Amino acid sequence: MNAPFGRWWASALAVALALALATPGAARAQDATAYFKQNCVSCHTIGGGRLTGPDLKDVTARRDHAWLLRYMPNPKALIDAGDPTAVQLFQEARGVLMPSLPGMTPAMVDAIISLIEAESKLEKSQFVGVQISDRPFTPQDIERGRAIMRGDIAQLAGGPPCLSCHTVRGVGALGGGRLGPDLTKVYERLQGRKALSVWLSAPATSTMQSVFRDTPLDADEILPVVAYLEEAARQGGEDSGFGRVTFLLLGLGGAVVLLAGMDGAWRRRFRAVRGPLVEDAGFGRAHARGGDR
Amino acid sequence: MEVRSQIAMVFHLDKCIGCHTCSIACKNIWTDRKGTEYMWWNNVETKPGTGFPTQWENQDKYNGGWVRTEGGDLRLKSTDKARVVTNIFHHPHQPSLDDYYEPWTYDYQHLFNAPEGQDQPTAIPISLVTGEYLDIKAGPNWDDDLSGSTVYAENDPNLAGLSDEQKGQLSAIERLVFFYFPRICNHCLNPACVAACPSGALYKRGEDGIVLLDQTRCRGWRSCIAACPYKKVYYNWSTGKSEKCILCFPRLETGQAPACFHSCVGRIRYLGVLLYDASRLEEAARSDTEDLVEAQRSLILDPNDPAVVEAALASGVHESVIASAQKSPVYKFVKIWKLALPPHIEYRTMPMLFYVPPMAPVMAQRSGGRGGTVDGVSGDLFHDIEDARVPMKFLANLFGAGNEGPVRYALRKQKAVRWYRRMLTVGDVDAATAERMLREADCTPEEADAIYQLTSLCTFDDRFVIPPMHREEAIAMLEDPMEHKQGAGFGFISRPKRGE
Repeated sequence: MNAPFGRWWASALAVALALALATPGAARAQDATAYFKQNCVSCHTIGGGRLTGPDLKDVTARRDHAWLLRYMPNPKALIDAGDPTAVQLFQEARGVLMPSLPGMTPAMVDAIISLIEAESKLEKSQFVGVQISDRPFTPQDIERGRAIMRGDIAQLAGGPPCLSCHTVRGVGALGGGRLGPDLTKVYERLQGRKALSVWLSAPATSTMQSVFRDTPLDADEILPVVAYLEEAARQGGEDSGFGRVTFLLLGLGGAVVLLAGMDGAWRRRFRAVRGPLVEDAGFGRAHARGGDR
Repeated sequence: MEVRSQIAMVFHLDKCIGCHTCSIACKNIWTDRKGTEYMWWNNVETKPGTGFPTQWENQDKYNGGWVRTEGGDLRLKSTDKARVVTNIFHHPHQPSLDDYYEPWTYDYQHLFNAPEGQDQPTAIPISLVTGEYLDIKAGPNWDDDLSGSTVYAENDPNLAGLSDEQKGQLSAIERLVFFYFPRICNHCLNPACVAACPSGALYKRGEDGIVLLDQTRCRGWRSCIAACPYKKVYYNWSTGKSEKCILCFPRLETGQAPACFHSCVGRIRYLGVLLYDASRLEEAARSDTEDLVEAQRSLILDPNDPAVVEAALASGVHESVIASAQKSPVYKFVKIWKLALPPHIEYRTMPMLFYVPPMAPVMAQRSGGRGGTVDGVSGDLFHDIEDARVPMKFLANLFGAGNEGPVRYALRKQKAVRWYRRMLTVGDVDAATAERMLREADCTPEEADAIYQLTSLCTFDDRFVIPPMHREEAIAMLEDPMEHKQGAGFGFISRPKRGE
């Protein structure tokens, strides 16, 4: 009786110890990795070169630890305070502000800094960024990109076509959707091919995330879309608003046609009984005269 | 057998003098409000005539009531599940305001305020809908007494099937004939209005069968207005809800006859409870057109039959209601004497208001070769009914679904009772003739006496046998009578600080 109890006691202690020692550290590292994947990789790489934001390889060596702790949770505060490093970064990003992200607690900042340190030491970090071929764009790429944008070609994972929410100048008579921003100049805004490709592989806004979380763009689809957006940016000009007017006019015209059709289809809907009865009896004219009085 | 009780009515058309007192009594109590001015829950029509709203009996125009499909099922003529949706904002078959009339009053102030001039000032009609001066084109009894009118009387839908000669006799100059047809809601057993309502606002009260319209549930779709073949649901343009005759249930619940019954000058109206078999209702409503009158009659159960009484008690009919049904004048007129007939039973709503068809004009039969129009005595008295000034076919269209049999039976019996009474009181008819007539009319001297009694000498209590309504039992089914126990008494407008 004594032996089984002892064995149970020992194993329980072992499990409790293992939990106490292992859980916090492991969980933190995992959390940071997931958090980095979800929030950082659309603008940053580790050893993959600059995207919208700088390459973070060895950032801990370049920047003071205390400065990072202040900067990462709220970059805007430092820029507003006139911190020279922060302002310089802001200018290098061509005015794209690093957002203050929810969940960026001091503990998370620490965990992310540790993660960057660890990844920087590796030969090839998992956050080196999406490797998109840098072959020059062909007219076929542009054409295919346009088709994917418009939804003429269905996306492999079944995601919605870009045009449901965005518009690009010259995409069609009525333009695209108005929910998301105009994408005509997005190639310039996000500073080129690589950054745009990374954005498309892992969008950073919560709206795009929720739409594309389960149906991400395929790597083969990203290149043509980037090619098309590059072409659109080169053509220049923003959406003129012409589509908006056309859409309104079409809607009004359609309503008029529909109402006229209904009026025709149900033209017998006003059926009087007493009026025709009186008129058929030959009293119609007398009544009409009475009505004029 | 599933026995239910129904408050039913009989209007004795031979007694109606067309005074419209019933209409006014009803209007003053119920429809004297804004939006209801044009409603006449009770109206009196002249027949032949087109009634109110104009030609309401023309179901080709108004699509009211039920029709029987090829398969023998009943469906509403005006609507179905799909058409509820397609017609939800505009129902093409409901009467327009012009088919009723634009209600008006008169600008009496003008009599006093008019500037001095050559002519006597007049009170100009003013619309109760728009408030503008109005050129009156129609009214609720516009063709009152206007038999022979080429506009209205000639377009009475009940003239269908009459020969040109018969139509000519109806409207011959100085020999016009007409009778009055007072109408209220029939409180039907198979009401089309209830079936058509998309909101479930219309219902038939379980304990007495009165058809009511819940003003809080009504959404003003007006499907009931198109569906009711008698056009007895009206839309209140002010409240946006429909309204209908409530059979003065607040009066009935306190033991008083409805206002139109109470005020009736000719004492033509009878009211009482009928017990009927609800389980056979659908079967009866699906009968062939010529069998409908008999099928509806067969639904009505004998309240003196012990089996019926037992089944009624089992169905929750109170024994005081059964006792009232045993004294019901309606049961006698409809079931025992078969004198009273439902109006337009071909609409298959199973109306619970019955009419004794009119004999009038009593002394004015058409007299074949003898030239005169008034000829009271003839060799074969029943032949005169066939040649009555109001053609049998016309009455059959109104009260027999086109079938002359039940109408002929009712008229022959009425006629026999008259001649029997003449034998007793005047004495210029010999007893043998009177008794032969009774026999041939399926009547006995005792029955003739009873008919005479209830027709001519009836008191208030004979005509109106109002059952105790037992609202407490109906309410107890819906609400807990103990709900406010220990919760009622004094309350506070503002609570005292202490004693909380």
